[in-house]
Amino acid sequence: MSAVATVTNLTKRYRGVTALDGVSFALTENRIHGLLGRNGAGKTTLMQILTAQNFATSGEVSVFGEHPYENEQVLSRISFIKESQTYPSSLRVTHVLRAARLVYPNWDEEYAQRLVDVFQLPGGRNVRKLSRGMLSALGIVVGLASRAPLTFFDEPYLGLDAVARQLFYDHLLADYTEHPRTIVLSTHLIDEVSDLIEHVLLIDQGRLLLDIEAEALRGQVVTVSGPVAAVDEFTRTGTELHRASLGGTARATVRGDFGPAAHDRARSLGLGLEPSSLQDIVVRLTTSNNGHAAGAGSATANKEAAR
Amino acid sequence: MNRALTVARLQFVVWRAVIGWPWGILALSFLINLALFSAMQENEDFEPTTGGLMSIYIVMLIASISAILQDFPFALGLGVSRRSFYLGNVLQFTVQALVYAAVLYLLAGVEEATDGWGANLRFFGLPFLVVENPVLRFLGFAIPFLLLGFIGIAIALVAKRWGANGLLTLSAVVLAGIGGLAVLATWRGWWSAIGDWFADQPGWALLVGWPALVTLVLAAVSYLVIRRATP
Repeated sequence: MSAVATVTNLTKRYRGVTALDGVSFALTENRIHGLLGRNGAGKTTLMQILTAQNFATSGEVSVFGEHPYENEQVLSRISFIKESQTYPSSLRVTHVLRAARLVYPNWDEEYAQRLVDVFQLPGGRNVRKLSRGMLSALGIVVGLASRAPLTFFDEPYLGLDAVARQLFYDHLLADYTEHPRTIVLSTHLIDEVSDLIEHVLLIDQGRLLLDIEAEALRGQVVTVSGPVAAVDEFTRTGTELHRASLGGTARATVRGDFGPAAHDRARSLGLGLEPSSLQDIVVRLTTSNNGHAAGAGSATANKEAAR
Repeated sequence: MNRALTVARLQFVVWRAVIGWPWGILALSFLINLALFSAMQENEDFEPTTGGLMSIYIVMLIASISAILQDFPFALGLGVSRRSFYLGNVLQFTVQALVYAAVLYLLAGVEEATDGWGANLRFFGLPFLVVENPVLRFLGFAIPFLLLGFIGIAIALVAKRWGANGLLTLSAVVLAGIGGLAVLATWRGWWSAIGDWFADQPGWALLVGWPALVTLVLAAVSYLVIRRATP
């Protein structure tokens, strides 16, 4: 599969703050990417630069083989739905949809209307009078119905209730299956989307920590629990990300190349072994990268792995 | 260019607001003036000139400011390039200015033919617009629309790109510039020369030429500013 976008050594500095620090990766065509990271990690800046809304300090960006800045050919194939999107005060919901229909070449009006019904958006209401959740839903409708070959969703769920969020995930997956395209989903609700995401990009403090298939990542990080000595023995084969101890037992999150043999080894050591959830992996990787021990009851020092 | 046309059409998604506000306010202003001067019933040689026509130009200024502050982030969010957004807006403002000027031109003609709407009211035909040449008269209506439109765009772009500090800096620079020139002119005794210069300018230059030149400069500078602006 070919790359839709590539980023090489991308750095963005604001006055005194490095938002992105030498980030390099590629977005694979027709895949759902999860762009994960804490608040202020640089996710939005990254997407703004990929969509030419912001400017890089240094580094290369290529989207559909070209630089996106002032490039109509590229920009018309991108849809960027962001939580912070503002709308002109005179627009109603129907106006926003009409504007989107004018601009996006692949716009599907019939689908948009269906989504408006699904999310129960009041078409005649002024966008400035929409609730936070409705505003998010409007962005979601625009993002899905635009059918752009490269679609970014930057925390599109703000203010949405659990039902509406699930509706979003369901419609995203269904429409993606029917009309494959490249999607980048930036989110904090990792557990909710862990089944949706095929590729994980994790950034922290402007640096890329992970660029890996979700499936491969799940096999790489496991949590073992049992007697401290046995846990120590097991973690020697990988990189310990986090440990919580209680009395003589410990519970450790370990990253390594764990195949079926590792499961056998854990069993023979008398350890319980479970694959970590995507959310756990992200939390552990991010906190161990920052050097802050997280989690209650971590009496022993966090073994800082040399990375 | 196609994309610029799309942007121009984008503005007309809310065409009721785009057309309704300027003409609605102008109509209101006209009716108030008409009622006022009809009620006054002064003698024949009293020919009141109102400033009511200004209202439609002020609305144009406000519209151009909000085009940058509100429409620009929205259009870029929809994947429009800065160049297309700018060209689309320039196109829309220019067409609007020409059409509006044509309408005002016609209304001024009607006003003359009806002796000021039967009330000796001079609302559309402004005294300094009394030129015989119909083309100049038309441009005299059109150019101020464009001048104010681009002043609005330029000011809003400074605010968009450099924030409140940029706006304050610009104000300070303009104030210092004008003030400095005034001091210089007074000190060197240039005022009468400046007055003569204005008096020597032909009517078309003051009415159309110089404002058009300022408009072009503002348009060019605004384009350079918007190319690096972020929504």
